Amino acid sequence: METKFIKTVSKGSRFNQIYVPKSMESLIEVGDKVEVRLVKKLIEIHYSKGLKELSQFKENLIKSIFSFLNENFDFHTMFIVGSFLTEKIDYNDIDIVIIADKKDENFEEEIYNKLIEKFNLKFHVLIIEEKKFWRLLKICPLTKAMFSNFVCNKPIKIPNESLVNKNHIKFLLMMPYDLLEIRLNSRSFFDSLRRLITIKRFLKNKSLGIAEINEELKMLMADFLYKKIRDNEEIEKNSINFLREILKSKLKIIEDLIKNGEE
Amino acid sequence: MGKNKDIHKLTNLMTKALRHKIGSIVNKDEFYANKYVKDAEVIMKEAEKVLLRQNWNDHDKGKIREQLRIKLRKELEQKDFLHNGKFEIMNEEIDKALKKFGLF
Repeated sequence: METKFIKTVSKGSRFNQIYVPKSMESLIEVGDKVEVRLVKKLIEIHYSKGLKELSQFKENLIKSIFSFLNENFDFHTMFIVGSFLTEKIDYNDIDIVIIADKKDENFEEEIYNKLIEKFNLKFHVLIIEEKKFWRLLKICPLTKAMFSNFVCNKPIKIPNESLVNKNHIKFLLMMPYDLLEIRLNSRSFFDSLRRLITIKRFLKNKSLGIAEINEELKMLMADFLYKKIRDNEEIEKNSINFLREILKSKLKIIEDLIKNGEE
Repeated sequence: MGKNKDIHKLTNLMTKALRHKIGSIVNKDEFYANKYVKDAEVIMKEAEKVLLRQNWNDHDKGKIREQLRIKLRKELEQKDFLHNGKFEIMNEEIDKALKKFGLF
């Protein structure tokens, strides 16, 4: 019969340790050779500063997701971001950001499919290379806003440092500019306005909390119009003209603010 | 709406959609590259509405292709923040989009 036992690693004063159970002291003795193998990784979750505590159900789900990803893919840094953390029930999907050594788009799809198979829930998976991640946290307003609230599998501090990169900001402004000329669904206006508010707040070194960004957007228009564009409902031509005026003024502010940024 | 106006509208929308798509390909390093593919899809859906308004003959198809090529080149030239390589994939992306719309 195989001689084995399962124990939890405990913290020692100098080294972490595993004790041989008393009942096995005659089977595994001093001088015997043993093999130690990881059976299940302990999954801890760490909240970003200011994020409200999640329900036990959501916490357990996140731990299960992290544990599944750790066992199947061996990732070291995983985040949950987005509305799943801030909305009680009205969240769209579960946004997972994984920091990896190298990005592979097929891998992203493989993880997505396995997660769906395992949990039967809607996920959005993004893999990002570690060095790009830290760079984007400096230059990308949308990435910075995304990480205003997160849950991670390890303690991590998002740096406050920001850098204005004109080309990156211009890349982000393409869609808002397009909406001045073409008519798309109303949700496109919602997303673009939110994008512009985020960029403007980033350039002005203001907080990028989702609640603050949404609040600023709400202040720009009547409640009924805010709800309509948020829910992608049909809107009248005069509302489109009104939204385009807001887009124009925000774009103007941003263009003025980025004049002195790096290329 | 007349055919010429629809060709103008269709090529305008396709130009913007393809610019987003090409941007997402050449600026692969962008964390949000996938998001721009979605932006392209939203605009392409709008273009599809215009596409379905008319029956396009070979002459129209040629006209659409030519207008799209000129407009997209101009658009890509203006967007200097899109990485190099955008012009290399331009024709390929035009062909793909036209095929998808049955205009090739």
